[in-house]
Amino acid sequence: MLEVEVAGLRLRNPTVLASGVLGVSASLAKRVEEAGAGAFTTKTVTREPRRGYMNPTFVVLEHGYLNAVGLANPGIEHFCQELREMRESLSIPVILSVGGGSAEELVEVARRGVECGAQAVELNVSCPHVRGMGVELGHRADEVAGAVGEIRRLGVPVLVKLSVHHDYLRLAEACLDAGASGFTAINTVRGMAIDIYARKPVLSNVYGGYSGPAIRPIAVRVVYELYEAFPGVPIIGVGGVDGWEAALELILAGASAVGVGSAIAEKDLAIFEEIVRGLKEYMEREGFSSIKELVGLAHRS
Amino acid sequence: MHARARVAAARLAAEQVLELLLEVELPDPSPGQFVMLWVPRVGEVPMSVADYEGGVLRLFITRRGVVTGYIHENARPGLALFVRGPYGRGFTMPRGGRVLLVGGGTGTAPLYFLAKRAGLSSAGCTAAVGFKSSRHVILVDELRKYCDVRVATDDGSLGHHGPVHELAAALLSGERYDRVYACGPEQMIVEVLRLLEGREEALEASLERYMRCAVGVCGSCVLDPLGLRVCRDGPVFSGAVLRRLHDLGRWWREPDGRKRPLAPQATG
Repeated sequence: MLEVEVAGLRLRNPTVLASGVLGVSASLAKRVEEAGAGAFTTKTVTREPRRGYMNPTFVVLEHGYLNAVGLANPGIEHFCQELREMRESLSIPVILSVGGGSAEELVEVARRGVECGAQAVELNVSCPHVRGMGVELGHRADEVAGAVGEIRRLGVPVLVKLSVHHDYLRLAEACLDAGASGFTAINTVRGMAIDIYARKPVLSNVYGGYSGPAIRPIAVRVVYELYEAFPGVPIIGVGGVDGWEAALELILAGASAVGVGSAIAEKDLAIFEEIVRGLKEYMEREGFSSIKELVGLAHRS
Repeated sequence: MHARARVAAARLAAEQVLELLLEVELPDPSPGQFVMLWVPRVGEVPMSVADYEGGVLRLFITRRGVVTGYIHENARPGLALFVRGPYGRGFTMPRGGRVLLVGGGTGTAPLYFLAKRAGLSSAGCTAAVGFKSSRHVILVDELRKYCDVRVATDDGSLGHHGPVHELAAALLSGERYDRVYACGPEQMIVEVLRLLEGREEALEASLERYMRCAVGVCGSCVLDPLGLRVCRDGPVFSGAVLRRLHDLGRWWREPDGRKRPLAPQATG
């Protein structure tokens, strides 16, 4: 009933752990699988290890979360061991989020990651808080498309993570022409928070990525646009998924699967089962037999 | 967001240990929980709660890095710091029975909070607390209100000469307890766990790891192989869980996610 296929990946249900949350170890991946997720996306991995920014790197706000972790990761060589362990212990698909400052680096990280067991690659060309490794890269559509083409040859699906800070329809088109398998939309939205008593920015990096329920309408819009512009291209909808209703909204807009991220701060890992149960009950009540019937349904008259 | 926390008092409680009293409105913390303490433009660090009463938060801060160093040098009444939390799962409150507390250094602070909140008395509570030397001792006199306190120092300048787990071992050889609570350097916790092997005492111990979000989403403080997050699933873990943590006493996860061997530490 809830099984979906996304760019050739078979998911037992449409929930995906989004990149940037918990994706650091095989041990956490196992817990996420046990909690009911349909797929697991790693934290963004780069060629070299990165320590990330100083704390505060995460702020809990009234309607969402702001973070600027700074793409902290152990580097692909070290992460390979975690990937191998993930493949040994997990039965859900493992999507490797790949970051870098150039097409060459993206390709290199992806190649090594696939060798170590990644079943799909998600290109993070839209991190809003790391100079030279995020949004800037996504502005260079030709370079990203070049990376997509080369990574596609590794034989795994390639998803491109899009951001509202790009001309995302143009970037999406260039990536599709180069062979991209689908899109993940959206990344966090660039924002900042100032403490009114400290009278200073809270994040050490000043700027960060805003996530949570407040960005959901933006994610719904982008997913809707992508589905309309590129019918049949799979989309993982991400942004403010804090329950089954939010997940369903993205599915109706055109997402085949939905990413769950910062909502874990509030609901912890139980959110995966909550979404799965809620979707099932909705489908039974409303008379749907497969979740696939709901994908993009808001478009049809 | 953070809550503003005004320094009401700051004094050097022991060598390299600053005692801070902060006036701050927080949800009531339970013993074993921690807060994130933010110094604007300097950084943010986790701190276990030593007490919270009448809107005053008490912390014992060891000088370690940039943030704690800044606080040591600049904390004076009136200074504004910022706090978010409390976070994490604290200790299970003892319900009657005999309790043994094993504390090392500033790890004594959350155990003091536990003893105070649980209203323990020396009839039911024994505390073994260890420090580097007599100059590093904190909270011993106050802890005597609630527990029969035994002190150990690494250099023998006060009480038992040697690590605190030796005191705990002596106590355990002559007595059965219902619960053992431990907080301190990880090697101390490993030793306590070893002492309790094959015994019936239920252990709870508090761990520390590099943290970022403090709410369980970033994964920075994960422990292998169970995938437990110190900030959310802990910082207090049961003995049964601790025995299954391969990282315990062995591996520390760096900010970049790589693990490095956990250096053996003295009980201070």
